[in-house]
Amino acid sequence: MENTLAARAMMAPFAGLDASGLDRADLSRILRELPFGVAVLDGERRTLFLNSALERLTGYSSAEVAGVPCRHVLRGSFCLHTCPRLACTKDESASCATQSREGTLINRHRRKVPVRLTSVPVLDKAGELICTLDVIEDLSALKELEGRLTRTAGPGAIVGRCAAMEHLLRILPAVAQSDATVLLTGESGTGKDLLAEALHRASPRARESFVRVNATPMPEALLDVELFGQAGSAPDEQGGGGAPRPGKFQLAQNGTIYLSEIADMPLAQQGRLLRLLDEKAVVPAGGERPMRLNVRVVAATGHDPEALVQAGLLRKDLFHRLNAVRLVLPPVRERGEDVQFLLTHFLGIYAAKFRKQVLGFSEDALALLSAYDYPGNVRELRNMVEYAVMVCAGDQVLPEHLPPHVRFPLAPGSTDSPASKTEAARRQPARKKA
Amino acid sequence: MSKKILVTLYRNEVSPRFDLASEVLLVTVDAAGKEAKRQELVLAHSSADDLCDLILDREVSEVITGGMEEEHYHYLRWKRLTVLDGIAGLAEDALARHLRGELEPGDILFPRGHQQAGGTDA
Repeated sequence: MENTLAARAMMAPFAGLDASGLDRADLSRILRELPFGVAVLDGERRTLFLNSALERLTGYSSAEVAGVPCRHVLRGSFCLHTCPRLACTKDESASCATQSREGTLINRHRRKVPVRLTSVPVLDKAGELICTLDVIEDLSALKELEGRLTRTAGPGAIVGRCAAMEHLLRILPAVAQSDATVLLTGESGTGKDLLAEALHRASPRARESFVRVNATPMPEALLDVELFGQAGSAPDEQGGGGAPRPGKFQLAQNGTIYLSEIADMPLAQQGRLLRLLDEKAVVPAGGERPMRLNVRVVAATGHDPEALVQAGLLRKDLFHRLNAVRLVLPPVRERGEDVQFLLTHFLGIYAAKFRKQVLGFSEDALALLSAYDYPGNVRELRNMVEYAVMVCAGDQVLPEHLPPHVRFPLAPGSTDSPASKTEAARRQPARKKA
Repeated sequence: MSKKILVTLYRNEVSPRFDLASEVLLVTVDAAGKEAKRQELVLAHSSADDLCDLILDREVSEVITGGMEEEHYHYLRWKRLTVLDGIAGLAEDALARHLRGELEPGDILFPRGHQQAGGTDA
């Protein structure tokens, strides 16, 4: 009884279709007028019919390619190695499933077109394969839009689809257009340097120089000259001295200066930086006359700036001056859905770089990569994909192509586990107070 | 004067795509148009740029291939090569026709017209 009801329920929509009279419809006319490309292929994937949209896309008319193997008509990147026919043998036609894949085709006019192919096996009531419908969608407009959006986000390097990154990328153009000082915060490897460069490139100062300063520990007098320059002096007896030396701020005139790890800068230089930001002028070392500067300052730190102020490593007044706009880059472990997106993004980049036909990750590899903590953030993820593509010989990244620490994660709580190392690194104080 | 003809391969067919060909057939013909030497080369990976380099390195003068991007077509034409692209058919058929002077760009050499499903694959 239940079976009968279930069978009736399953048949219900088909009964509706029968009642509509679709079985008497002129199928070729319907297919011909569909707005996307459709090819009808026989069991051997020889072309039986192309609709008008596909005729326009490929440049071939249906009549001139009748009987020709579809790989010579579509000329798709998926035709040679991942042809749907390989997964759908004639003897197992009942097990054929609809498959979809993206790639490119080269048409008769020698133009490469990005497309999505969906191959639909058409079976009769006995489950025998009658023919295959290949549906081809032209993705040119979509890819162009995608390219434009990536370019807007900066040098094509800052990508992300999680809520935090989407918010960041949305406000980036507005922040870039303003001249406000910007403080970037985020753990190591989250992309602070790239974001600083993206801010500069999207700003009206893009044609001027972008100068990066790493205030690495060095004698304060030397750092002073390095940052703020040295005034010219009268030549001494040995012929030394004389020429003035521009500092990083003078080199960044009209452009952007990026101070990475601002808290590494000694407090004396932080004081001079504060005066520079207030007065928009700098007095070079050994000089008396201030020099007017027009420089946008972007600073970054990998630590919590409030904690740095508490610890006395960052001047409170400088922090408030720099904190006009604060952009926070989230760590990968908080970017959830972005992990798979970033994996695919970098896979495409490195597959093209190494000229390999690596198309994706196996389910097992993806499960391992999704479960990993990424203490080194995007930098670590990118290096991992680069390694995987480098050692991958097939068209899919498998678990054995991943670094050992991802394949064999140590038990939680172990002192050597990546998670515990990250935690230890986070707890470590940034720098002892000078 | 002898000349070299390169045919991009996919199994025993002309490769449908120049940029995805991973094997090529290199045939040297003598002044009388007779085949003097033939070599099948397996490429390390598929790349249109690398294939163009190989074609120039081997001093090939005529190329028979399937679909090809405009950029590579014009590059080889600019290097004064004869390029017969858009060829669909068996590699030996295409070569034989070319040696008889009967092959044109865009030629489809497979039997055309609708056949009964279940016939042999071309």
